[in-house]
Amino acid sequence: MITGFISSILSLSIPLILAALGGVFSVRAGIMALGLESMLLFGAFTATVGSYYTGSAFIGIFAGIFGGMVIGLAHGVFCIRYKMNQVISGIGLNLLAVASTTLLMQIIWKNKGSSVQVTSVSLRLSFLKDIPIIGDIFAKQSIILVITVALCVVGWFVLFKTPFGLQTRFVGENPKAASSVGIHVHKYKYIGVTICGALAGLGGAYISIDSLNMFVRNMSAGRGYIAVAIAILSRYNPIYALLAGLLFGAFEALQIYLQGYGVPSQLIQMIPYIVTLLVLVIGVQNITPPAGVGAHEDD
Amino acid sequence: MIKKNNLKNLIVPIFALFLALLVSALIMLLSGYNPITAYAVIFKGALGSKTGICNSLVQATPLIFTGLAFMVAKKATLINLGVEGQLYVGALVGALVGTVDFHVPFIIHILLVMISGMIAGGLAGLFIGWLKVRFGSNEVITTMMTNFIIINFTSYLVTYPLKAEGPTAQSERMLPTALLPKLFAKTQLTWGIIIVVVIAILIKIFIDKTKMGYEIKAVGHNKRAAQTAGIKVGHVILFSMFLSGAIAGLGGAVQVMSVNRRFIAGFSADYGFGGISVAALANDSALGIIISGFIFGLLRNGAKYLNMTSRIPTEFVSVVQALVVLFVAAPLMIEKILNIFKKKKEIK
Repeated sequence: MITGFISSILSLSIPLILAALGGVFSVRAGIMALGLESMLLFGAFTATVGSYYTGSAFIGIFAGIFGGMVIGLAHGVFCIRYKMNQVISGIGLNLLAVASTTLLMQIIWKNKGSSVQVTSVSLRLSFLKDIPIIGDIFAKQSIILVITVALCVVGWFVLFKTPFGLQTRFVGENPKAASSVGIHVHKYKYIGVTICGALAGLGGAYISIDSLNMFVRNMSAGRGYIAVAIAILSRYNPIYALLAGLLFGAFEALQIYLQGYGVPSQLIQMIPYIVTLLVLVIGVQNITPPAGVGAHEDD
Repeated sequence: MIKKNNLKNLIVPIFALFLALLVSALIMLLSGYNPITAYAVIFKGALGSKTGICNSLVQATPLIFTGLAFMVAKKATLINLGVEGQLYVGALVGALVGTVDFHVPFIIHILLVMISGMIAGGLAGLFIGWLKVRFGSNEVITTMMTNFIIINFTSYLVTYPLKAEGPTAQSERMLPTALLPKLFAKTQLTWGIIIVVVIAILIKIFIDKTKMGYEIKAVGHNKRAAQTAGIKVGHVILFSMFLSGAIAGLGGAVQVMSVNRRFIAGFSADYGFGGISVAALANDSALGIIISGFIFGLLRNGAKYLNMTSRIPTEFVSVVQALVVLFVAAPLMIEKILNIFKKKKEIK
């Protein structure tokens, strides 16, 4: 029973962690990550489309990453090149993602509720199944779980132990100063939002063609906003994002667990949102984002 | 100088709308539909008959409310994505007050429903403002979270404790005294459209002529300067969030008094988020919101005719809405595109 619960925590945390990790990269480069919801949703959609047309879940995953990257890049062009208000850009993209995926769904599958079933990721950690306890927890997990953990570790290393990470953080803290010492500010910001889009796109692909085998209208269901809260709670540190993501995953798992006990589903579905609200209110009062978020080097 | 600015304020939104319609036409073309026929059907359906115009106004009414609600918060640089949830709160409370027989004339009953919806929505907005002032919580996320909570909770209420007899998750029917009178028989158009226009004018006066309106603008312009000038920024945030929520709540109450006649779970056709586009297209001007609300109302209404005569999905209106939000917020981009046109003219 407990192993089953832990197992669902892990699988439900994956998209949250990936999106939050994306948010960490974006914010560290000085771009707010309120568009995460759109990157998740669009990634989920393009992954389904990729898998639908090629019959390959592997290509679907890459299509998801690509879809997220396109939105991330669009957010970058709006915020960096056209100096758009980053909050509005994020919200506009979120609205656009819901609207355009619903529209395209009807054009491709003639259905506004969900897509047809497509090939889903079948690679599981089944080689662990004979080990007691560990097998119960991990054997049914997707290979993407391993990738997610690896990405968090690599992400931490890149941000805090490499010159690239140092310069990205410099750009995020103070774009003006970074520019004056000859750092190509725009380049780092674009890389930051593109990484963000790619990671959230992978998270979206996981939602649609790994934990399910189809795209459902607005299936990200606010996880992008929850991921923003996770990124803040993690103090923009990839390792803490992994841990905070697991915490939120636990509440999502609780939600599924409670459904077996006859509690009305509408009340159960409120849990992750209430938890996020509480965390935002109690948990993150003294956390400030990098000083240069929203600033331009030539202000 | 001022005139030039006014002109610019008009050109950017109009061109943004044009661009959004153009992009949507392209999407239609690429997916094998004829955009010219589509737009013809939309405009003919939405404006071609008395019923068409009435239905466009019915669609416009909640959008003008939510546009005003979003705009009032944005004047103080607050992004109130919670308009959707505040609309639900106002609709639920309004619908419940509408079922109670107070033995009062219908005018009083109508006022009671409207005021209770307003207060309920206002308190929902005030809560977000309080989280912002007291805990510094980012209102974009808190409003989205409360939206999900409110929509689920109201749906719970009308599925279990407040459910009316029948298969649908909805509350009891409101009494006839609590419904807004119709402007024309056989349409859904009620006094609601007049109420929302009056509200828009009142808000315009409030923002331009009162001390509080001035303080909201000052906080929106520069928080630190406003603080130095002795304005209590916290109070201003609380007040503008209350006002924003109250307008959204009133919109919800008017919607149940005009169209639904009871609270139905998940009744809003994304009116809250539509309001973001309405406010954007109007460049946050109260009177402009009446016009932009009507434009989006007619697009939504026309899209229904489109769905009857062709297979083009109505969702393309939502795409137009989202694109308008993006394009209006990127005046630098619009200017660049306009400059390309200008240069071409000069070369010729």
